[in-house]
Amino acid sequence: MKTARLILFGLLLLWSMPLHATDIEEVTSPNGIKTWLVEDHKLPLISLHFAFRGGVEQDPVDRQGLATLTMALLTQGAGAYDASAFQQQLADHSIVMRFNAGRDALGGSLKCLREERQTGFALLHLALVNPHFEAAEIERARGRQLTHLRFQLGDPDWQARYALLGAIFANHPYNQRSLGSTKTLAALTQADIKNFAAAHLARDNLIVAAAGDITPDELKTALDQIFGDLPPAEKIASIPEVVWPPAPTSILVPREGTQTGLLFARPGPKRLDPDWYAAEIADYILGGGGFSSRLMQEVRDKNGLTYGIETGLGPMDHTAMITGEAATDNPNAGKAWTIALAVWRRFFQEGASTGEIAAAKDYLTGSLPLTMTTTSAIAEVLVEIQREHLGRDYLQKRDGLIRGVTGDDVMRVIKKWFDPAALTLVLVGRPEGIKPAKTAEQVRE
Amino acid sequence: MFRRSLLFAFAVFLLPFAARAAVFYPETFTLDNGLQFIVVPNHLAPAVTQMVWYKVGSADEVPGKSGLAHYLEHLMFRGTATIPPGEFSRKIAAQGGNDNAFTSYDYTAFHETVAADRLSMVMQMEADRMQNLQIKPETAKPELSVVLSERQQRTDNSPEGRFEERVRHALMPDYPYGIPVIGWKPEIEKLTAADANDFYKNHYAPNNALVVISGDVTLDEVKKLAAESYGKIPKHETTVRKPCPPLKEPSEHRLEIVDAGVEQPQFEWNAIVASYSTQKDHEAYALEVLGEALDGGQVGALYRELVLRQGVASGVGTSYDPDARGDAVFTIALVPQPGKEPKELEKALQGEMQQLAQSGLDVKSVESAKKRLTRAAIFERDSLLAPGYVFGEGLTTGHTVEDIESWPDRINAVTLEQVNAALRGLVGNKYTVAAFLLPDPKASPAAREAAHKPALSRDQSIR
Repeated sequence: MKTARLILFGLLLLWSMPLHATDIEEVTSPNGIKTWLVEDHKLPLISLHFAFRGGVEQDPVDRQGLATLTMALLTQGAGAYDASAFQQQLADHSIVMRFNAGRDALGGSLKCLREERQTGFALLHLALVNPHFEAAEIERARGRQLTHLRFQLGDPDWQARYALLGAIFANHPYNQRSLGSTKTLAALTQADIKNFAAAHLARDNLIVAAAGDITPDELKTALDQIFGDLPPAEKIASIPEVVWPPAPTSILVPREGTQTGLLFARPGPKRLDPDWYAAEIADYILGGGGFSSRLMQEVRDKNGLTYGIETGLGPMDHTAMITGEAATDNPNAGKAWTIALAVWRRFFQEGASTGEIAAAKDYLTGSLPLTMTTTSAIAEVLVEIQREHLGRDYLQKRDGLIRGVTGDDVMRVIKKWFDPAALTLVLVGRPEGIKPAKTAEQVRE
Repeated sequence: MFRRSLLFAFAVFLLPFAARAAVFYPETFTLDNGLQFIVVPNHLAPAVTQMVWYKVGSADEVPGKSGLAHYLEHLMFRGTATIPPGEFSRKIAAQGGNDNAFTSYDYTAFHETVAADRLSMVMQMEADRMQNLQIKPETAKPELSVVLSERQQRTDNSPEGRFEERVRHALMPDYPYGIPVIGWKPEIEKLTAADANDFYKNHYAPNNALVVISGDVTLDEVKKLAAESYGKIPKHETTVRKPCPPLKEPSEHRLEIVDAGVEQPQFEWNAIVASYSTQKDHEAYALEVLGEALDGGQVGALYRELVLRQGVASGVGTSYDPDARGDAVFTIALVPQPGKEPKELEKALQGEMQQLAQSGLDVKSVESAKKRLTRAAIFERDSLLAPGYVFGEGLTTGHTVEDIESWPDRINAVTLEQVNAALRGLVGNKYTVAAFLLPDPKASPAAREAAHKPALSRDQSIR
């Protein structure tokens, strides 16, 4: 819940979890493809999730939208099937096959009935190694992506995000738009798409996990069948670390309407930073804990100024941030921000109480098993654990890591990572009672 | 979205056709006070979900008090004699759990997901607020601001939200489903703590509710816990639900809404059709199959014709939710292919629907749609929330557990003739609204460009 809207940067922020350790088995195929499996035969379903390191940030700057378009085309014709026939195969066999392009990785999943697994594996193999990228399908997919892009341009939340990422990332590839712009999307060629797929879908940047009604031996065979024909090595560009601008700023993006959206961010700890668990606790207390958070209680419950305000940690491969967002009436925008900042400042100065820290630990340790209640959720979590290099014993270790955080650790981390003076703020709307440093127009193409 | 959210019975634009499913093999019992329990054991994970459904929604509000059902839903989190305001969610979060609530036309629901050994706690807490809610002016007032802020965010400040509200109201004038669940702003502003209290007293009772529990539990455990918690609540009389009034013709059949906040034009065609409650001879099941056959992700008849063959649309979606006490709405939503006029979509859709009504759908596409729908049942069992939604929506709108469990059989029993009859009924339907949401050409360069360019600039190298 707390992270519901903070998938903001295309990352999976599921790290508010475990308790009961799930049995994860490592399975290696004859050709050396490794995967993690949670075997469970209660339902006749199989979920397979996978990721290829390197995502949207890999798009050339004048080819933004390329990763997204390429992934969309994998299910639009492959092997002996044109796009219609491929889709018909998926429909007739009740196979759910999805691909997406995230900020740091390309993702995919397959979910099917056990009795349809051979068809599912065969189709997935074709989509990965023999997609057609046929001209007419490229045009159709480009049209769909342009439609999404236009929905995006009309979305105030996206406009806020665009302004914020621009202010922070400037010329870093993290500033790239996953759907591209109308110009870059129009410029994509079939050759671009083919080259992108060939360079990025490989065995050495692949991460796989499976859950459900499949045995380790069946999975071994399936792994080679699906992924064995991919090229052994990726050819992805190396991405530099983000250098944040020396000083934060505030930006107004004027937009007609009755409401102002606020989006704010500052640097935060990366996923493998030793401060991570203390920062999770601090964030939960300040704004990550839904209705229990200080910001929600003060801005929503006591003052009725917003329907919701929340914060979250946003770790990425090449930087990390702490972000927050809220929406409020135009006339109350200044007041809401003043109250939110006062809450944040007090938190920064005084830290958290022992009771708050204990409650945050209870939540963070108790919530993981509750999210791992479907085969697809389990497979997805297993991919994320591998992607973040957390180790196969992570689910067993995590409770101890959280419980081991001391009050002093939390205070130290608040002082290090939670100074609100470092926040960059974007306001989209016609806010009153606040004077942002800069004004930016909404992006229109 | 944030918690305590409003459920839009209206489907989200372009989502694939919502496949319903049953076959949860539930176990049921009813307490002496009339509270019905549906238990769906699911031992995939040591977790459990409780959903409490009250048989009251915005359609049960009296004129002038729109938004009251939803306001009360918010106030259900504002404290009882033993649980102070805000404490409800905090107690659940302290166990790592999560909770949420939503309101629709015909029902209001509250749910929690917790570790299986915490079920007793959340049953006690829901039982507590079923009878001991305290609505105080000092908490009710800021909560009203929160509700108004929610309305701002969802509707007033959202072009799509404003559009859906307009369309729905035009389609069903003077009908409870034509009034927004969240309420009209001037009416929300006047709601009081006393209004909410009366509504609570008149509608919230064990004999007007049901509880769905799914997860790592057994029937015996739930029976024991239910007796210890909800079992102690006395039954009391509640307001009898009124039947839905007769339908009137839509106030307008065609809407063109120009909105400066929009970049992407959209078109939707809505028709009032039978629900499970108002169907005479299984039309609702035929309409579900029809929706899947027309849409079906990328294999439906409309997708093939309008997207693949004619190339006027970049996407097609149908939506139809037959769980309603009154009539239901069947929607076909289309997004134009860049460079195509939104008006072309209307013409193309009409043409294709008439063509299909004349020729009829073929048996293969109908059988394939039926298979997809019934197989989705197995996928839904891989979820703790699905049983809650399916039984809750069904049982609060007048259906039985048996209706729900036999859903795959009823879908399988739908004949080609019934689907084609439903299709002809849709084409001849008089209760329709065709609605366009259009960018303001003066406001948006992107939209202007789309309107005047014949097509996307194509890359020469692929020719």
